[in-house]
Amino acid sequence: MTLDWSVVWTHRDALVDATGATILLAAATMAIALPCGACLAALRLYAWSPIRTIAACYVEFFRNLPLILVVYWAFYVLPILTGLGLSPFLTGLAALALNVTAYNAETFRAGINSIRRGQVEAAMALGMSRPQALRRIVIPQALRRILPVLTSTWVSLFKDTSLVSVIAVTELAYVAMQVRAQTFRVLEMLSAMAVIYWLLGYPQAKLVDWIQRRYAVSE
Amino acid sequence: MTDDNRVMQRAKADRPKVIRYRGVVKRYGELKALDGVSLDVHAGEVVCLIGPSGSGKSTLLRCTNGLETIEAGQIEFEGAVLPPDERGLRVIRQRMGMVFQSFELFPHLTAQENVAEGPRTVLKMKAADAQQRADALLAKVGLEDKASSYPSELSGGQQQRVAIARALAMNPDVMLFDEPTSALDPETIGEVLTVMKRLADEGMTMVVVTHEMSFARRVSDWVAVFDVGCVIEQGPPRQIFDAPLTERTRDFLSHLGWAD
Amino acid sequence: MEFDFSVIGDHARFLAYGIAITIALSVVSGLTSIVSGFGVAMLRLYGPRWLKPVVVLYIDSMRAIPVLVVIVWTFFALPIAAGLTMPPFAAALLALTIHLAAYAAEIVRAGIESVRPGQTRAALTLGMSRRQALRRIILPQAIVRMLPAFGSLLSITIKDTAIASVIAVPELMRQSETVAGQSFQPIEVYTFAMLVYFLLLFPVTRGVDRFYRSVAHLGRS
Repeated sequence: MTLDWSVVWTHRDALVDATGATILLAAATMAIALPCGACLAALRLYAWSPIRTIAACYVEFFRNLPLILVVYWAFYVLPILTGLGLSPFLTGLAALALNVTAYNAETFRAGINSIRRGQVEAAMALGMSRPQALRRIVIPQALRRILPVLTSTWVSLFKDTSLVSVIAVTELAYVAMQVRAQTFRVLEMLSAMAVIYWLLGYPQAKLVDWIQRRYAVSE
Repeated sequence: MTDDNRVMQRAKADRPKVIRYRGVVKRYGELKALDGVSLDVHAGEVVCLIGPSGSGKSTLLRCTNGLETIEAGQIEFEGAVLPPDERGLRVIRQRMGMVFQSFELFPHLTAQENVAEGPRTVLKMKAADAQQRADALLAKVGLEDKASSYPSELSGGQQQRVAIARALAMNPDVMLFDEPTSALDPETIGEVLTVMKRLADEGMTMVVVTHEMSFARRVSDWVAVFDVGCVIEQGPPRQIFDAPLTERTRDFLSHLGWAD
Repeated sequence: MEFDFSVIGDHARFLAYGIAITIALSVVSGLTSIVSGFGVAMLRLYGPRWLKPVVVLYIDSMRAIPVLVVIVWTFFALPIAAGLTMPPFAAALLALTIHLAAYAAEIVRAGIESVRPGQTRAALTLGMSRRQALRRIILPQAIVRMLPAFGSLLSITIKDTAIASVIAVPELMRQSETVAGQSFQPIEVYTFAMLVYFLLLFPVTRGVDRFYRSVAHLGRS
C-alpha cells in the first residue's frame, strides 16, 4: 500500500473553494432560518388556532424526517413546484433552510415558554400591554436561553451541509469525493476530508461549549 | 353585634370607597374559587385578607387588577366597574400597585432599572426622570446603595423591597400585596413588614393577603377572614383576633397557634 | 401534474425490504451505540486519568465530523488502512456506532452528574461501597434522567441510517433511490419514503416522551 498525500496539496485550490462553499452554505441557511424560525415560533405561540396547528405540523414534519431525504425530495419537487430550475446549490440551500427553520422555531418557542408566567404578570401589573411585556421582559430573558441552543444548531448545520453532496453541490464532501474518484487516492482524500472537517468543526464545538458555560442559566 | 355596630367600629368608613367587591364569583372549571365575595376597601385603609390556603384570598387580589376574570358579580374601582377589555384594564393597573409572593423582579435589569421600568415603558417618562424617581424610591425602602445590583445579588427581603419600590413608582392609589413575606427567610420578613407599615402610616390604601397575624393585628384597619371562597367573617382586628364571632375563625386562628 | 402512486405497489416488496433494513440498522446501531457510549462514559468518569483526554478528544471529534464522512471513510478507506473488507451493512453499523457512541457517552455522563452528590454520600453512609452506590442508587436515578435524551438519540439514529444509502446499504432511502431512478417517478417514491420515515420517527419521539413522563418521578431526588 503506497500512499501519496501530495494529491491533497495538488488539489488544495479546489478544496479551499469547496470549504468556502460549505461555510457559505451554512451561513446562508442560518441567515434564512433564523428570521423564518422566529416568525414560525411567533405564529405557533400567538396566532389563531388553525394557523398554530399548521405551524406545529410544519415543525413536527421536518423534525421527523432524515435531512438527506429532504435534499433528494427538494431536488425533484422544487423545480416542479416553483417552475424554475434551481441550481443544486440553491436546492440544497432550500432543503437545509426548511429543515433548520423547523428546529429554530422549536428553540425559540421553548425559550419563550421557559420564562415564568409570573414575569409577564408582574409586567402587566405595572400596566404594560402584552406586546410590551414580551418585548421588554420576556424576550431579553429568553434570548439568554436560546443562544446556546442556536450555537449547537449551527454546529449540526455545518456538518449537515455535507449531505447536499448527494445532489452534486460543490461543497467540501462532494469535491473531496470527486478528487478521490479522479485520482483513485481513496485513503488520502477521505482522510483529508475528515481532517478538514475536524479542523473546521472542532474549534466550533469548543466555542459552543464555552458559550453554553458562560450563558448557563440556573434557576 | 349588629351590622350598625360593626360599621361604627370601622374607623375610616366615612372615607370614599376605593374598591368594592360585590358578590364576586370566580370558577376554575368545576371548582368555585370565589363564591359570592362582598367587601369594601375605603381610602387610606389597610385591609388584610386572612384564611387557610386555597380559600380564595389570592384569587380575589388577582381579579382586582384583572389578571383573572370573574364569572359573576362585579368589582368597582374608584367608583367605576372594572372594564372587561385589556386596554381599559391596562389603564386601571397603572393606578394599582401589586407585590407578588415570588417578588418577580426582572432578572436582566438592575434594581434601579426594575423600579424605573414602569415609568419608562408605561408612563413614557424620560430615562433620566425615571432614574431619579427610582433612586428616590429605593432610598425610601432603604436600598439606595443597591441601585446597580442585579436581583440575583440581593437577598429575598431586599428583592421584595425593590418590588415594593417598583410598584410605588407608578404612583398607585392602592397597593395589593399577595403574601409578600411567605417566600422569605424569617430574618428578612421584618424588614419588608417595616416598609409596609411605613406605607400604611403614610396613608396608602392597601389590600394585603398575609399569614403574618401579628402584622395584621397591629397594622390593619379591617380584616376579612376567608374560607372556601367566602368571607366568613370581617371586622376590625380587635374583633377578629381577640373576640372572633364565628367558630371557623376561631378554629383557623387556633390552628395557627394564635392564643386568644 | 399527474401523480401515479401505483409505482409504490409495483415495488412493494423491494421497498418493504428497505424498511426492514432501516429498522434493523436503527435498532442494532442504537443498541451498540448505547452500550459503547455507556462504556466510554464509565471510562471518562471512573477510568485512569491518562485516558480522560483521549476520550474527550474522541467525543469532541465526533461532534466535528459529519456522519456522512465517518460512513464513507469506514467503508472505503478503512479496508485500505486495515486490510479488511466489510459488507456495506457492517460498515454502516460500525460507522454509526462510532459516531453515535460519542453522543451516548455524553448523555450518560450528564445523567450521572445530574444526580445530587448527597445521594452518593447517603449511600456511603449506609456502608455501601462506591461501586454498590453507583449501581444501586446513582445509576437507576441517572438512567431515568437519560431517557428523554436517549429518545432523541434514537430518533437521530433512525435519520442517520438514511445516510448509509451513499454506501449502497439497501435501506429504505437507497431502495427509494433505485425505484425512483428506474421508474422516473421520483416525486411519488420520495413522498412515500417521507411518509414512512415520518410514521417511524413520530411515534418514537412521542412514545419516549410519554414513557418518560410516567417514570420521571423515579429519577427525582
